[in-house]
Amino acid sequence: MKRIGFLLGLLLIFSVCITSWARADAQARLRIIGASNSGAAIDPALRDVHNQLGSLFSFTSYRLLRDEVFNLSLNRPITIPVHPGRSIAVELVGQKRNLAEFRVRVVREGTDILNAVVRLGPGRTVLIGGPKHGEGVVILALSAHF
Amino acid sequence: MKDPCSSVAPLLDKYFDGEASAEEKETIERHLTDCGACQGVLESMGRLSALIRTPVEASVEQEAFPWVWQKIQREIQVQPRTTWWEALRARLGPFLFPGRRTWVPAAVALLILLSVSASFLFKKQTPSHQDLSVVEYVESSSCNVMVYESDQEQVTVIWLFECPEKEASPS
Repeated sequence: MKRIGFLLGLLLIFSVCITSWARADAQARLRIIGASNSGAAIDPALRDVHNQLGSLFSFTSYRLLRDEVFNLSLNRPITIPVHPGRSIAVELVGQKRNLAEFRVRVVREGTDILNAVVRLGPGRTVLIGGPKHGEGVVILALSAHF
Repeated sequence: MKDPCSSVAPLLDKYFDGEASAEEKETIERHLTDCGACQGVLESMGRLSALIRTPVEASVEQEAFPWVWQKIQREIQVQPRTTWWEALRARLGPFLFPGRRTWVPAAVALLILLSVSASFLFKKQTPSHQDLSVVEYVESSSCNVMVYESDQEQVTVIWLFECPEKEASPS
């Protein structure tokens, strides 16, 4: 009887481990930043990435247009409409150990202008930029938290 | 006047056992020359002593004690001389040196612990994928794409060029 109890306990621990290992969800943060050379205003909300942006790009003004934090489940994309006819879709396509794999699609009028798969460690950021926005461009800062 | 017998009587035992001092011995012997009662007491002590000693000595002579000594000598010879290490082990053995059955799982647990901790201790210190953001795949139907990885800022940039699009108005 004791042996059966011990085996059941082991089985329970094993199943809990497997469940937690197989549970694939991640929190992602997507910041949509408008960068331009008109003015020299740095959005206070971008203080943490200001140095990165300053060293990588030569824009003088950075403005946070949107800040979205969302929980992603495996293979269940989340679409964020950013402008009429434009949207950004983020999908968790894989998660193993300490890496989350995201598919990012920038869609313009039904066409993918970007389809990328990026792998991020916790707290790491990938910047996606280039699409024009007014006098400047849009930069997407996607970071993973899990 | 004080009775001389009362002062000598307590010393008679010591005198009989040969434990009296020279002064006491002289006092007693001087008194015994004049006192018949004390002489009688002393003689009765001698008789009592003889009465006890005689059967004991006879019994001791009859008893063969050599076997006791032989046994003691044999025990002394059988017990090997112990070193300080053996003595320590004998004293602290149950605490420091448990049985072999305990050693086996303890050794296995130690090995597992070492192997697990070694994987952490000797892990490569080079930046792993966890420390970076990695672009696995990029595709764009309408733009030129550049992927730039900055080691200094530990950030990856995907940049789209020359998108033939209408400019979007600021949101």
